[in-house]
Amino acid sequence: MDNSGKEKEALALIAEAEKKMKSSQSFFANMFGGSSKLEEACEMYARAANMFKMAKNWSAAGNAFAQAGQLHLQQQSKHDAATSFIDAGNAFKKADPQEAINCLNRAIEIYTDMGRFTIAAKHHVSIAEIYESELVDIDKAIAHYEQAADYYKGEESNSSANKCLLKVAAYAAQLEQYHKATKIYEQVGTHAMDSTLLKYSAKEYFFKAALCHFCVDMLNAKLALQKYEEMFPAFSDSRECKLVKKLLDAHEEQNVDAYTESVKEYDTISRLDQWLTTMLLRIKKTIQGEESDLR
Amino acid sequence: MSSDFETYEQEFGTLTAEITSRIGKIPKLGGDEKKNMVVNVEKQLEEARELLEQMDLEVREIPVQSRGMHSTRLKSYKQELEKLEKDFKRSRIAYSDEVRDELLGDDGNSSASQRAHLLDNAEKLERSSRRLEAGYQIAVETEQVGQEILENLHHDREKIQRSRDRLRETDANLGKSSRILTGMLRSVSLKGLPCSYVKNSTKERMQAVFDTRIIQNRILMFILGIIILFTVVLAIYFSVRGL
Repeated sequence: MDNSGKEKEALALIAEAEKKMKSSQSFFANMFGGSSKLEEACEMYARAANMFKMAKNWSAAGNAFAQAGQLHLQQQSKHDAATSFIDAGNAFKKADPQEAINCLNRAIEIYTDMGRFTIAAKHHVSIAEIYESELVDIDKAIAHYEQAADYYKGEESNSSANKCLLKVAAYAAQLEQYHKATKIYEQVGTHAMDSTLLKYSAKEYFFKAALCHFCVDMLNAKLALQKYEEMFPAFSDSRECKLVKKLLDAHEEQNVDAYTESVKEYDTISRLDQWLTTMLLRIKKTIQGEESDLR
Repeated sequence: MSSDFETYEQEFGTLTAEITSRIGKIPKLGGDEKKNMVVNVEKQLEEARELLEQMDLEVREIPVQSRGMHSTRLKSYKQELEKLEKDFKRSRIAYSDEVRDELLGDDGNSSASQRAHLLDNAEKLERSSRRLEAGYQIAVETEQVGQEILENLHHDREKIQRSRDRLRETDANLGKSSRILTGMLRSVSLKGLPCSYVKNSTKERMQAVFDTRIIQNRILMFILGIIILFTVVLAIYFSVRGL
């Protein structure tokens, strides 16, 4: 692939397109076929952007797509405008996350205007992912995930909504917003219980909900655990439930060693992931904290 | 007389001791040594039997009163000799311990072998319990993977259902739009404007209809522009003429 050649071609195309745009501003051209000139300019921008993509010049490609999107807006073709903005966003993802988020936001506005909430929700999820990974702004990521979940709920796609809500809950718990997290987990858990396909994942959700209760207050955790066992008898057989019970006992007796012991035992069978380790560590610290208070 | 008997007794005693020790050694030996030993022991047994016979004769010469003690002793010696002969026979047949050890791999000291055996068992148990744990771990992992797959399936199911509904909607909409376009085409052709675009596909029909409308508008605007220009020119002309 002759990348530099492609770039030159692309630059040439952009120059042409700009010329066309300027020329289309004149009065006569407006009468005789200004719109077709704009369309041609649009197309040229799109082609130039594709060539930039081939040459891996992501920011230039993103700019070209954004220009194309603008022109589409002027021509009142919202669908095309939105798709161009999405393409711009994707190109920018690799170069400049902030720009990508701007483009995606504009595209989302257009989609919500048109009433296409599913697609808008999907792009909210992409924005949230960018915030998660590249810009590491957890609050905004949570906000976008929540929006996406609301839109999905509105469109009756409950599984997608649940996926987003789970992410919200995980981050909320990390940021110590335990009430939110518990509510979400309980909700998702009850929903999962009823579905034949999902009931094997239900125990995981109840486990996480119980842990969040635990972080707040031990008594809450006990009541919650009983409630879950009533609702969902299979839960009491699972290893997770047994672990929580052991942890509760260890916490009551203020016995850090028993706590560590049971956690280690669980870990030998199935590895604890990042989120779980953080939560369990916090609970452990509360035990140790209380111990040191007594001293 | 009795002193002879006693000498015979002593000799018998030594002989039996020797025979016993030799019988004990026989199983451990092998081959030629064994044969020699066997021959020796047989000779000694013969000697012992002769001694017993002589003791018997002596006892018969003793007067009946004091015979009892000697005769009992004689009987016990005879029994001992018989027992030695039996042992001798057995020893010639029996396998010695050493040969057995050589065959089965020299266990040597039995308590050490037992200890090694126990350790072996313990190790086997350990290994099997480790394998069981690993198996359990794999089972749990499989369960988790299964959970994820089920969630994905659920998600995909919803997607497919939604797509199917949307497809049906689109189908209905397309039917409607095609009917509308045929209506438009008919009305436009009835008004008699230049549109002899009798094309097949919907999009081209649409394009054609819109193109006519656009061209109509452009022509009107152009005519209007010309009229205005004309009026302006006339006005200037008349004003200049008026002067």
